[in-house]
Amino acid sequence: MSTPPTRNSCETIPAHRGRVREGRTVKNLLVLAGVLMFLVWSYYGAEIHLSQLLSRDSFGQIVIYIKKLFPPDFSPAVLQEALKGTIETFAISFMGTLMAVVIALSIVFFASKNLIYSGLLYELEPRQGWKRAARRVPYLAAKSVLNILRTIPEMVWALIFVFLVGLGPFPGVLALGVHTGGVLGKLFGEVLEDVDAQPIESLQSTGASRLQILCYGILPQVLPQFISYSLYRWEVNIRVAAVLGLVGAGGLGQRIHIAISLFLENQLLTLILAIYILVTAVDYLSAYLRRKVM
Amino acid sequence: MRTVNSTQQYRLAEIRKVFARDQVALDRIVLTVCRGERVALIGPSGAGKTTLFRLLNCTLRPTSGKLWIDDEDVESLNGKDLRRTRSRIGSVYQQHNLVPRLRVIHNVLAGQLGRWATLQSLLSLFKPADVEIARQALQQVGMPEKLLERTDELSGGQQQRVAIARVLVQNPDVILADEPVSSVDPSLASTIVRLLIEISQNRHKTLIVSLHSVDLALAYFPRVIGIKEGRVSFDLETSKITEGMLEDLYSGNFRDHSMTEAISERVQSVAYPSVG
Repeated sequence: MSTPPTRNSCETIPAHRGRVREGRTVKNLLVLAGVLMFLVWSYYGAEIHLSQLLSRDSFGQIVIYIKKLFPPDFSPAVLQEALKGTIETFAISFMGTLMAVVIALSIVFFASKNLIYSGLLYELEPRQGWKRAARRVPYLAAKSVLNILRTIPEMVWALIFVFLVGLGPFPGVLALGVHTGGVLGKLFGEVLEDVDAQPIESLQSTGASRLQILCYGILPQVLPQFISYSLYRWEVNIRVAAVLGLVGAGGLGQRIHIAISLFLENQLLTLILAIYILVTAVDYLSAYLRRKVM
Repeated sequence: MRTVNSTQQYRLAEIRKVFARDQVALDRIVLTVCRGERVALIGPSGAGKTTLFRLLNCTLRPTSGKLWIDDEDVESLNGKDLRRTRSRIGSVYQQHNLVPRLRVIHNVLAGQLGRWATLQSLLSLFKPADVEIARQALQQVGMPEKLLERTDELSGGQQQRVAIARVLVQNPDVILADEPVSSVDPSLASTIVRLLIEISQNRHKTLIVSLHSVDLALAYFPRVIGIKEGRVSFDLETSKITEGMLEDLYSGNFRDHSMTEAISERVQSVAYPSVG
């Protein structure tokens, strides 16, 4: 089958755009009722008891705990430990994201239909069904690998890797890398399947090979978005990296876990402040860099 | 193999192209274009000019019929041979010829891709090879100063000239252009058409240009082919074309400024052949 040309033509107006559907209000009301029922069901399903949270008793508990947090412990030993944790968390998020980019890039080209077996690059191929079918195998394999990586949450990966390689920042890096690799793979794949086909056909017409078209036509189109998505995931990962320590995967989280367990509330506040500063700084840095590349 | 003594650049026999099973874009096209000829294609939008253009530059296969380029049956071409044939045909599209984020020099040097090895073309993105060739090509289209600018910062007309510079670098036997001037302003249109004519004359290249403007076609081309509803409506020396033929070619179309429902539907279905 040959794919027909896709060309944008502004002069074609989608038909029946303004047609008013009858019974729309009834349908809307039904949807609204459904959403409300779902909300109520979830409220009870999640065992939310606002009354409990707001009761004098627990409210008093909260106040007492907050009072205990103050003043933050700024003794040199604690500060040094917080700094070490901050650097570790930063390193975990950075290395994790880097690993994710490597994983995503090595898989994503197989997971995009238009690159691996259909679309412009294969348009002129003689219709050899088995070739097409054979290319579906790496495609489906890459897709499922990405899905598995992505759907298993970082925390679960962290638990697995702590079990496999022991406590410390390394399992944190692996957990972030593997999960984010799946996420970025999906995002990159969507970018790839969205490339403007016209310049690619134009390159094709010069006699360029598929690899040359990749370098000249596809990568220049997608790289800025790849970078932007990677930076955004780095922002997400710095927050995740701060939590991963709770399951023993290093960084500030691990120290927070210890501080909570040993009732060292003043140290806890110092660590929370460290997270706040780190996350804010990375957010700004990443937002700045993303503005630069786009 | 390529037979050099042949004078036929293109031979089309009963070419038919059908999209999405029932959208007939081209029907029973029979054509011969000789080496070094200059031909204009005219006809209403949706007539099949672009489809024909894509068949001629080997980015689309006909549904049925035979297409020979230099006496070579295109159907038999694959992989390397197909790319070699494509590299002998230079294409200028209506627009979006170029990769917007690349610098002008890389878009111009993309004309070399058919000759370059993969590694060489990759390295050229970092350190451009053949800077002089690119500069000369841009010189010929009259904008050497744009060499290092980013392509998306150029105007539509400038981008069209960059596309022509790429064809110059490619140095093909045939130059094809699909409505190369319909997205540039009218004062520039004849400049660009003249540029194409000049290149084909100086370097003895076959030139096939589809044009929106009948005036440009009649003014600059010795042979004009009219295409309507996927068929050749006429194929004549310019001097033999009558007003009546043109009326007939565009009848029911923009000549009387009222597109009938049926025609606008047909245009839609050609523009979006994959939908439905």
